[in-house]
Amino acid sequence: MLSTAPLERKLQLSGIILILGLVVEALCLLGHGPIAFMVFVGLGGVFFAAGILLYLYSLVSANVAPSGQ
Amino acid sequence: MTAFLALVALPLLCFGMGTSSELEHAKSTEFCLSCHIMEPYGRSLRVDDPQHLAAAHFQNHRVPANEACYTCHTNYAMFGGIKAKLGGLRHIYVYYLGTPPAPENIKLYEPYNNRECLHCHAGARSFEEGAVHTADPDLLPALKANKTSCISSGCHGVVHDVASLKDAKFWKGGN
Repeated sequence: MLSTAPLERKLQLSGIILILGLVVEALCLLGHGPIAFMVFVGLGGVFFAAGILLYLYSLVSANVAPSGQ
Repeated sequence: MTAFLALVALPLLCFGMGTSSELEHAKSTEFCLSCHIMEPYGRSLRVDDPQHLAAAHFQNHRVPANEACYTCHTNYAMFGGIKAKLGGLRHIYVYYLGTPPAPENIKLYEPYNNRECLHCHAGARSFEEGAVHTADPDLLPALKANKTSCISSGCHGVVHDVASLKDAKFWKGGN
């Protein structure tokens, strides 16, 4: 169940995408042909890029509450 | 900090190490022969005839048997490895999305350069002092300058004779 807080939800999504990427890459390392290589770089790489970018985006887009001083 | 390590550093490390492993595996003979169209070329490495250049190199371990294709078909100039990988991507495209030629109609993109032979043979006694190579004093300089081809000059012309494999005798060893 994803969190309702926007920042947490984005972080959870980022983690899920990265885990998917890790699973895809691990499966591809078991393969021996060119297709395994293409999926490793193409699909796994896209999952990783998306997960990392979502994580970084979630950090820079987070609303920081005023400190009240 | 932990989140950064888990969500950025770890995936990048995994991707880098995995890519390195996959690129290394892409040099293997098994990888090249995993495409059905290359199967006759794999069989040509086992032809029991020393006149067949690729077979003689493979069977006598003049090239590493587990990287036989890559050793001869990569380019030993700068960026040769990258060019070989880009060529491989093109092969995958043609194989899966294009119209691959019949195995016997597969041609090199450009004439085979003596540089790839000389990468190993230059300086070797059998090459530098071989009777045929030294019979004509102009031959060795011409070979080294790639003006006379080792292969298309006819001296070592039988490489992968995939069209006549059905009549060939095969070496059973080396498994």
